[in-house]
Amino acid sequence: MSDELLVVRCQLGEREAFAELVQGWHPAVERYVGRMLGGSDDDVVQEVWLAVFKGLPRLRQPDRFAPWLFAIARRAVLNRLRDAYARPEPEPIDDRPGDDEAEGVVNRETLAGALAALPAREREVLLLFYLEDLPLDACAQICAVPVGTIKSRLNRARRLLRHELVRKGYEA
Amino acid sequence: MTPEEMLARLDAPLSLRKRVGYLAVAFAGLTGSALIGLLWVTEPGLPTRTNVAFAVLVAIGLCWAAFGGWAVTRRTPLFARDRVVAGWLGVGAWLVFSVGALIISLVRQEFEPLLLGVVLVLGVVAAVHLRAARRARAALLRRRNALAETAVGGE
Repeated sequence: MSDELLVVRCQLGEREAFAELVQGWHPAVERYVGRMLGGSDDDVVQEVWLAVFKGLPRLRQPDRFAPWLFAIARRAVLNRLRDAYARPEPEPIDDRPGDDEAEGVVNRETLAGALAALPAREREVLLLFYLEDLPLDACAQICAVPVGTIKSRLNRARRLLRHELVRKGYEA
Repeated sequence: MTPEEMLARLDAPLSLRKRVGYLAVAFAGLTGSALIGLLWVTEPGLPTRTNVAFAVLVAIGLCWAAFGGWAVTRRTPLFARDRVVAGWLGVGAWLVFSVGALIISLVRQEFEPLLLGVVLVLGVVAAVHLRAARRARAALLRRRNALAETAVGGE
């Protein structure tokens, strides 16, 4: 069943549709929160689902559920990581597309392990873009920044990730 | 934590009974304080103690109304079905108030055009809310059916 249909059923007041929505998306929310915070946090995940439940009647575009959900999850994480996000964003790195060796080599689990060492903003875009397979415009909507900013954060994040992986001995 | 454990944690806010309960409390408080207020203003020459008692009763009703209103706007959301229930509860509260106002007018044997105006305005507000809630729910039902048909057709 599509997310849009589930959301519409939720908006009608069908509790079992909300249960299906939670069953479908809970692993992704838990993964995102866990990797952003460096460890699982059930209270934050619960906060996310409570906010989703409260916000569902006002969701105008049921077909855009995923970006809306991650925007809520991001806000919850942001509250916990306020200090990390308060640091100024570094200057953009002039990185040519296509020259990123790490992208082709690293599998998802290795990537997830190295992510923990990255700053919050860079970790976030990598999680959303690579681990959750969200398109650039959805990442931009979730992070409330233009698509160009997401691209530059991705470039910077890939570079930082490459450094991190090299440091850990994945240079081969 | 499994999705089922998360749903168990969210059991209280997800409860339909609780949402309808908040609505019923809000409307009961509102209707009660309105009827008591009506009795109060139509009763001439009351002693101070009785005035205070009336004021306290009206305040208690308004507090329950404010609590119910706060709960359904802040604590828990109202979905399409809940809004229709709220619409009907509003119509019910209006009916109770209208009957009460009619009885008070008959007992006092005096006709108050202002009171009639208030009853009519409240009736229109209740009817408009109910209609809006039913239309919103009907639109969502149409959307759900269309999406369900697409899903079946796509399989």
